[in-house]
Order: sequence, then C-alpha cells, then structure tokens
Amino acid sequence: MKPSDFSIWSLDPTKGTVFYHVIFAIVIGFAIFFALMNAPTQVRRPLTWFLTLLSGGVFVVAAYWPKPINFDAKTQKPLNAIESGSVFLADTNNVVGSFTQILAAFMLGLGIFSLLRIHLGKIAKKKTDWGFSIVLLVSMVSMITFGYWDYTTRQANKLVDYDVQSNWKLENMGRDFLFDKLLQQMDAAMFSIIAFFILSAAYRAFRARSVEATILLGTALIVILSLMGIVSAYWDGAVTSLAGDSANKDLILNFKITEISNWLRNTFQTPAITGIRFGIGLGTLSMAIRIWLGLEKGGK
Amino acid sequence: MPVEKVGWWSNNIPQLGEQYWDTGWFGLLFTLTFVIFIVFNVSRARKTDLFIRRVAGLNAIEEAVGRATEMGKPVLMVPGLSDPVNAYAVQAINICAHVTRIAAKFSNPIILCAYSASMYTLAQEVIRDTYQSEGVPERYDLDSVRYISDRQFAFAAGVSGLILREQTAATFFLGEFYAESLIFAETANSIGAIQVASSTEATQTPFFIAACDYVLIGDEFYAASAYLTREPVMVGSLVGQDWAKMTAIAFILMGVASQSIFVSSKAKLTEKAFLAAGGNKLSKEQSADFKDKFKAETKTAKEEETKLFNIQKFFKPGPPPEDLDMQREKLPQEPEAAPGAAGANQ
Repeated sequence: MKPSDFSIWSLDPTKGTVFYHVIFAIVIGFAIFFALMNAPTQVRRPLTWFLTLLSGGVFVVAAYWPKPINFDAKTQKPLNAIESGSVFLADTNNVVGSFTQILAAFMLGLGIFSLLRIHLGKIAKKKTDWGFSIVLLVSMVSMITFGYWDYTTRQANKLVDYDVQSNWKLENMGRDFLFDKLLQQMDAAMFSIIAFFILSAAYRAFRARSVEATILLGTALIVILSLMGIVSAYWDGAVTSLAGDSANKDLILNFKITEISNWLRNTFQTPAITGIRFGIGLGTLSMAIRIWLGLEKGGK
Repeated sequence: MPVEKVGWWSNNIPQLGEQYWDTGWFGLLFTLTFVIFIVFNVSRARKTDLFIRRVAGLNAIEEAVGRATEMGKPVLMVPGLSDPVNAYAVQAINICAHVTRIAAKFSNPIILCAYSASMYTLAQEVIRDTYQSEGVPERYDLDSVRYISDRQFAFAAGVSGLILREQTAATFFLGEFYAESLIFAETANSIGAIQVASSTEATQTPFFIAACDYVLIGDEFYAASAYLTREPVMVGSLVGQDWAKMTAIAFILMGVASQSIFVSSKAKLTEKAFLAAGGNKLSKEQSADFKDKFKAETKTAKEEETKLFNIQKFFKPGPPPEDLDMQREKLPQEPEAAPGAAGANQ
C-alpha cells in the first residue's frame, strides 16, 4: 500500500503536485503567523484556542479511532471508511507532531539569544565572575562549530568508516574531544555528586524528631539492612534455624529481614506511589482538557 | 464479488480479522465520565462556593517571598525540565506567575531558570504579562527569565551556581524533576533558602521532602491554581478530579468485593454441584476427578465470559468476503513443478 493514495499528508515526492502543496502550506503558515502578530488580544486568544483545539483534536481522535488491523487482501487498500480514517489520522498525527519540533527549533534561536544577551552584557560591564561568561560563550561557539563541521563531513563522506580513529580529521577529533571527552564526563561528574547529597539529605531526614520521623527511620533501616548481603544472610539464617521444624514454622519465617522488607515495599511503598501517580495522572488529564478546551488562562 | 465498502456505524463493520472497539473502550468511557465530571462541577462552582482543604505548601508562598523581600535577596523559580512544554510545565508556570505577582507587589527581584527554549519563551511571555497586569511593567527585568541549558546536568550545574552566586532567599522547584532534584534542593538548603517544591515524578518527591521546607505531593501540584485563584473553572475541575478519584476508589472496592465474593460463591457452587451429583457417594478417585473437571469447566466459562465482556458483543461479526482467495505469491527460488514430473517419480 502506498500511503500517498489515501492521505494528503504524505504525498509522493516524485510528483510535481507536491510543490504546490508545499507552497500552499507556506502561504497559509505565514498568513496565520501575520494574522496572530497583528490581531488584537481579543481576537488572538480565540484564534490561538481554535488552533489548539484543532491540533489537539487530531491527537484525541487518533488515540480513540480504531487502529487499522488489515487491509483488503487483494488491493492492499483500506477496506472501509473507518480504516481510511485511521490511515489518514496516523499520517496527520505524524505531521502535526512534527510541528512541535519545528517550533522548538525556532525557539532554540531565542534561547541562544537570551544566553548571548545576558553573558555579553556581563562581559561588557565586567560584572562579578565575568570570566566564566567568556568560558560559556567560547564553549558554546566551539561546540556548535565542531558539531556542525563534523556532521557535514560525515554526511559528505558516507563511505568512510568513522569508527576507525585513523580516518578522523580535525573536525572529528574536535567534536570527540568536546562532546565525548569533556561534556559527557562532566555530566557524569555532576550525576555522581548526587551520592553525597543523598547522604546529607538522609542524615537530616532520619533524625528521630517526631513519631513520623521515627517510623520513617525504622522502616528505612530495615530496608537498608535487608539490602546488605551479610546482614540479610545472618538474620535470615538465624530466623530459619529458629523456626526449625516447630509447629509455628511458617509464622516464624515471616520475620526474615528480606520478608519484612518486601512486605514494607509491596504493602506500603508501592500502593502509596501508585496512589500519588494516579492523582498526578488525573491532574494532568484535567489540565490537558482545560488547555484543549481553552478554559486555562495561563498565569492569570 | 468486490468487497463491499461499509460506512460509519454500519452493522457489518467488523470484517475478517478486524477488532474495532475491542481494546481501550473502558479508558474512553472513563475519560468521557471524567470530562462530564469536570464540566458539571465547573458549572456548579459558578453557582456555589466549593470547599478546598488547606494546602500548607501554597500558604507558604507569600511567607517565602516576604522573607526574601526582608532579606533583600531574589526569589528563584525552576518550572521543571519539561521539553517541549506540556501540561506539567503550564501548571508550573501558573504557580510561578502567582509567585511573580507577589514579588512584583513587594518589588522583589526574581530569577526564573528555563530548561528548554520553548519553556523560556512561554515563561518570558507569562512573566511579562504578570508584571503588566500588576500595573508595574517597568519592574520587569528582561534578564530575570533565563535560558540555562537543555542538558540535564548542565542545567543542574547552572542553576546550582546561580543559587550560590545570587544567595537566593526563597526557591520554588515546581514541575517535572528527575535525578537533579536533590542537587537543587540541597544546594538551596546549604545557603538557608526557604524552599517550596513539587515533582510530578513520584520517585523524586522523597528527595524534596528530605531537603525542602514545604512539598506539594502528587495532585496538590495541580490543586495550586484552584487554591490560589479560586476561579470557578479551576475549582470545578479540581472537584471533578476528586469525583473521578472517588469513582476509581469505588471500582477498586467493587473489584475487591467481587473477587472475594465470587471466589467464595464459586467454592460453594462447586460443593453444591458435587453433592448434587452424588459426590458423597463417589469413591476418592472419582471425587477428585469430578472436582478437577468442574474447576476446568468453570475456568473455561469464566474466560469465555471475560472475552465477551467488551463492546464488540454489540456488533455481530459479518461473514468473510466470499471471493477472498488468499494465495501466496510464489517465490523466485520455487519453480513450478514440471508437468508430468509427479507421474515420472511414481
């Protein structure tokens, strides 16, 4: 099946008509852009809402519309209106989803502009720690330069095996040094700092200042000990030998530290987290409905 | 005969192998019910005052900004790591707008750190609008909303550096946070900043609880708009959420009850049938065999019932197309058998 037979979103690029569609889309896009820019607030809000409703509606309908299961065995075309609809929606979904990426790409320019304004201003006025701003700007420019240079070289020489270091040129070495050798390692260093922060936070959280804090301390201690191999081995071994072949064997075996820990995690922790997640899910759904229906007045 | 094309809601919708409406119908029903709850409660909230319980974390916002004003230090806000902007980010920005409104009243400087470029653009617009709506557009500083980085730990390093350099007196971490949550919270804690935090990631909430002064847990994060603005739309949708929660709880209880009662009644049914079939007169082997057979039959019947318990039972499947002649195309390496070859072999 060729999707282009059923959808206006994925046209055959070899056909000349596709260019008319592209030109038409650009004209419509610019028209909407200028209409939004020049419209008064009273008009801009409903227009924005209408576009939100329209693009959000695509995702909603695509989520609930039956998915295509099989096409006509002979023609490999949708069997009926429902399947034609689902093919159309699947294509539309992809196109509308990529709008977000296009918009985000435009906004990245604004983000870079913000960085430049703040840090160039800082350097010009020689504010405190202005040297760091120079480091930031130099890093940003060199990463963009080497990243793009490396990308274009790789695209131009697709037959070259860049996994072999002897094939590398300056741009490949530069990108490798900046991205893999510096940025990735610094990311890992920041991540490793969390271990120390966990220690200091745990020290404060586990001080038995109230009944709740004492319960927290007790349960945390049990879970921590159960994860320590030597403790769990001795504790569980002692409980097993205590149980022996006594009549209350099954009852006593419940007091293995691994059993208590599992009980705490499965009976208290998991349901509590599930409950919190459920609440967040409902809140998100409610928020999404408000945004979609234009009921959310952001920041008001 | 060509395959007949059928229309929407036509009785002969299901064709061979199709499973329309076979999955997810309960999700659709629940979502629709939820939407009805929200719309109904929004209209109810317009007529009557609906109750919202006290949320300590939200009451602390004014106190935190007031403290920052007294100390003459800025307020720092991080609306999460959403990229691109999603429902979490919009909610976080809503709360940040409220914080900004209070800061604007007190003429207190603010810093908002954006993780993504789209968040940066949105935050800039909302914060500017907030200053304008408070009648003090001149107090809006363009540099107060900053784009830091869209790499998680570069962002964490940038925000931590800002907290330490600016010595912020109050910090608000609201939205989608992951592993970097504790880096922010502990850094702010180390300089004695008053902190209000909330993460939509349940796994990060304990970190915030350990290191922050006030934490909005779970859906309290979404209750903030309703709590702070008391707008009927917000309050109504919050109450609608609560109704949905009640419905879910009712379903859970019904599930628990049906499982408990059904299992018990099934056991009784087995026993009754066993006695009715003269089970007490059977030998030990016969009785065990009977029980196994009865259990297997009950299980099969239950499975059949489960399969039928969907909306598809309202649609009778149509017969397969008469001319459906699915013949596999012959592969190139599979030559036709020479005529008479079979006979030659014989």
